[in-house]
Amino acid sequence: MKQDYFSANNIKYIDYKDVSILKKFLNPNGKIVSHKRTGVTSKNQRKLALAIKHARFLGLLPFVAR
Amino acid sequence: MQEKENKEENYLSFEEAEGTDPRVYEVGYLLVPTLSEEETPTIYGNLKELISTFGGQSISDEMPVMINLAYSMQKVIQNVHHNYDTAYFGWIKFFMDPEKVLELKKKMDLDPTIVRFLILKTVKENTIASKRFIQREVPRRKTPTLGEKEEGKEEAPINKEEIDKEIDAMVA
Repeated sequence: MKQDYFSANNIKYIDYKDVSILKKFLNPNGKIVSHKRTGVTSKNQRKLALAIKHARFLGLLPFVAR
Repeated sequence: MQEKENKEENYLSFEEAEGTDPRVYEVGYLLVPTLSEEETPTIYGNLKELISTFGGQSISDEMPVMINLAYSMQKVIQNVHHNYDTAYFGWIKFFMDPEKVLELKKKMDLDPTIVRFLILKTVKENTIASKRFIQREVPRRKTPTLGEKEEGKEEAPINKEEIDKEIDAMVA
């Protein structure tokens, strides 16, 4: 993923309920993939991290997997 | 008189401006899985009523659906610990005054049927995009069609003959 996924797909608001999208940015342990590897812009990476944390709180995504 | 009218207009426009993004909230919640399938719609209805009693206007929502939680959650109901691995997840998006949201939170804190909830500021537009974009995941490759291949084969021999003739002419 070299280009910003969110601007490429025209996603303006990163929603915590979009688990299928957020899962792309988790590694097999359930950690958030670093900005360096995702290729997402810094602004969107911050929003992405927040969305993932909200999803984790509501049990949609794991804090730790495996 | 005119001044009054102007003031009213200003007030209206101010209201509209306020009514856009800063007042849009969303509450996501998990309901206790011990509820039966028939009970969830009534609780969902009660929640919507609760929001409307605080002057909220619902924009969009989703009915609670049974999901498997990513990890087990604990909740204490009447001094008894409960562990939950599943729950009903639903959400409601609504307009509300910022002061009222705190009151809503306090009310929801006391609700015994809610395992957890999350109140967020959000935008009015639909924010779920996954269904539209999943299909485009694989990059498209241009595969040559059959028609193009046949054309290429037909053209090649003709070109060779012509080139041969040209070469012969050049040599001669």
